[in-house]
Amino acid sequence: MAVSEPGEATGVIDDATDKARSGGRPSSSAFSTPRGIRLAGRYALLGLVTFIVLFPVYTTIVASLKPGNRVLQNPLVPNAFTLDIFREAWTEGRLGRFILNSLVVAVVVTVCQVATSVMSGYAFAMLDFPGRGVLFMVFLATLLVPLEATLVVNRRTIDSLGWLNSYQGLAAPFLATAFGTFLLRQVFLGFPDELRDAARIDGAGHTRFLWHVALPVVRPTVGALALFSFLSSWNQYLWPNLITTESDMNTVQSGLRSLRYSTLDKPNLLMAGTVIAAVPIFAALLVFQRQLVRGLTAGAVKG
Amino acid sequence: MNRRFAFTMLAGVLVAASCSSSDSILESGNETPTTAASPTTVAASPGTDDTDAPPSSDATTIAPTTSTTPPPDPGLCPVDALENADGPVEVLFWHGLNGATNDGIEYLAAEYNASQSKVKVRLEPQGSYDSTIDKYVQTSQASRPDLVMFPEYMVQQTVDSDSVIPIQSCIEAAGFDTSAFRQATLKAYATAGVQWAMPFNVSNPVLYFNRRMFEKAGLDPDAPPQSLQELREYSQAIVDSGAASYGIAIDSGTDSGGGWFLEQWFANAGELYADNDNGRTAPATKVLYDGPVGVELLTFLQQMVQDGLAYYVGGNATGQDNFLKLADQTAPAAMTIGTSAAMGTVFDALDGGLIPGITNEDVGIGPLPGPSGTPTALVGGAALYVVADHGDETTAAAWDFITYLVSAQSQSEWAVQTGYVPIRADALSLEPVASTYTDDPRFRVAYDQLIGSPDEPALQGPILGPQREVRVVTALAVADIFEGGDVQTALTDAAARANALIADYNAYN
Repeated sequence: MAVSEPGEATGVIDDATDKARSGGRPSSSAFSTPRGIRLAGRYALLGLVTFIVLFPVYTTIVASLKPGNRVLQNPLVPNAFTLDIFREAWTEGRLGRFILNSLVVAVVVTVCQVATSVMSGYAFAMLDFPGRGVLFMVFLATLLVPLEATLVVNRRTIDSLGWLNSYQGLAAPFLATAFGTFLLRQVFLGFPDELRDAARIDGAGHTRFLWHVALPVVRPTVGALALFSFLSSWNQYLWPNLITTESDMNTVQSGLRSLRYSTLDKPNLLMAGTVIAAVPIFAALLVFQRQLVRGLTAGAVKG
Repeated sequence: MNRRFAFTMLAGVLVAASCSSSDSILESGNETPTTAASPTTVAASPGTDDTDAPPSSDATTIAPTTSTTPPPDPGLCPVDALENADGPVEVLFWHGLNGATNDGIEYLAAEYNASQSKVKVRLEPQGSYDSTIDKYVQTSQASRPDLVMFPEYMVQQTVDSDSVIPIQSCIEAAGFDTSAFRQATLKAYATAGVQWAMPFNVSNPVLYFNRRMFEKAGLDPDAPPQSLQELREYSQAIVDSGAASYGIAIDSGTDSGGGWFLEQWFANAGELYADNDNGRTAPATKVLYDGPVGVELLTFLQQMVQDGLAYYVGGNATGQDNFLKLADQTAPAAMTIGTSAAMGTVFDALDGGLIPGITNEDVGIGPLPGPSGTPTALVGGAALYVVADHGDETTAAAWDFITYLVSAQSQSEWAVQTGYVPIRADALSLEPVASTYTDDPRFRVAYDQLIGSPDEPALQGPILGPQREVRVVTALAVADIFEGGDVQTALTDAAARANALIADYNAYN
């Protein structure tokens, strides 16, 4: 959650900058002063928003770099520096183990979500079968059921399968997503009929068509869905927290909690742990942010 | 769709945050702030606990009760099964200890595992009492641990869960001698004549104060306030002298000012908190805190807030806010109330230099100021339950570990590491607690106020089915009151909601 904020904020800034550019153009020749004032106002506002968003990140990083006896003195001033805190947080918080768990779960969830979404999206868009409309509505309706409403039942199911404290337990409820199905259906709906007809004439069945023709074309959307799935899985807190009773199987976001409990008197350790947990996801967001936004809005106009 | 994503995550975080909101460092303690054991004081200890009630010859583990419940079957706890086991038997133990109380239990478990080869204890810290309870309740019997630690307010719910072996079976089967135990600690975990759990980590609330500020205000730091009236007078002196901006920092947390302390204050006043002798003779049907005693108590506290003598820190979800108010650089308070089990954590944090300007030695510990002016305490903290249906060998192994944890030697070490109170009198003559209690009397305060408490129903504390939930509604009322709400209205409403919770609970159990 915390990590997604900077990314979103950057998106806001991009949007606003675009608007600033286009909005500023007509007035630029005649009234240069009002334009300057307007621009200054906009940047002031953007600066303020940036400050509000980045301030907690800044304090977290500053605290994570200070030794224990300096953390609460001048908390905003990085007047002391040590990397020991990171080392200690890494070992004491067992972050290596937790990150591995997060990675395994996130990869499994991502692969399965993409696979199920592509296939179901394809079916809803390209196949004509009785009850398709109703079934799709039912599918969409599950988007309205919040995770919290199914928590207890899901946990009991996982428990009765004997999957507490296991990768399958962590991943099982998230292997399919109505959102992904919806997204890919919209993309497939906009698919040129000519391509499908051409493939059919060449003797391609559904599998071959999907794999060799359709999938390459919708790759940007699939990529965005994959990144989105990975991010949401990585950032999961509640579910892993609920079904792990043994710390070995905790994921990183939920495992940070145990770092908090084990270091009540060392706030800097928790801060360092938070930074470590945020780094992989932050890097992923920076690299893929444009693709994520573009991919998710891809079906919007057409659908 | 981004928005939905954000919303979902936000909702998740909010729910998670609210779930963990009553996690509290209040229940935590910490590692040895102990002074080095001085050889000269070692011999002095056996006579130092003369305030103890003498272990009576007919001391039993069973609370006095009017109930006719038959005693549990000793056969439920086959304590000899361990002898037939081939290879070490693993005992999975869930606990809610954290910080260095976690270090303390890890130390004891490691010592135990190294001391014998029949049992191997595996600890799984669940982070807090709340998450231990939640996970236990939600989990099927087979996936539950073999041994579990629950706080004092969980007695009735655990009994009604039908998932544990009453520890009395084990005590009887093993012929285990509990005569040296503080009987109050046993009684706290007995209901309707049956001993359900073995007390292990016993704590109670104490007054934390800044000795320097006391001196600056012309108050004697060796004579902290004992009554609520004195608490007000001390606060007035502190504020008037400018030694600190506020006398005391108070909160409305469920396991502190909003719930647990109220139960303690009622006990101190000799008043029942719930009917049927606090639920000890029969299941309680209603709470009694909306009567004149409750109104007077909370009006008094509200007045202190309104007069600027007390500073209300809010719901105190982290359990740290009240302590941090003492370290506030601009407008500090001089006192706060917290569990004795937080002592270790507080001292550790100060020794680590976390709080500029306050050292370990600056902290004074006094008894909980109460309505009566004579310190008393209910048994707080947590106890050990043996989970049923996990096999004879496992049950026997869990019992073996329990006997180690409650041995006099373990209790002595545990008390010094954490600030918890030894549950047995003979622990006090053993090192390290013997010298610590002599050299650093702060550690003794909680013990003294516990053993000074008379043996009467009010001082056994309430047992309610939905006690945790009752604390939550009560804490909301206290928050309302501290923020200026009408005392009688808030308490009446809270009591009505609490009584509805109790009625529901009783109807289903």
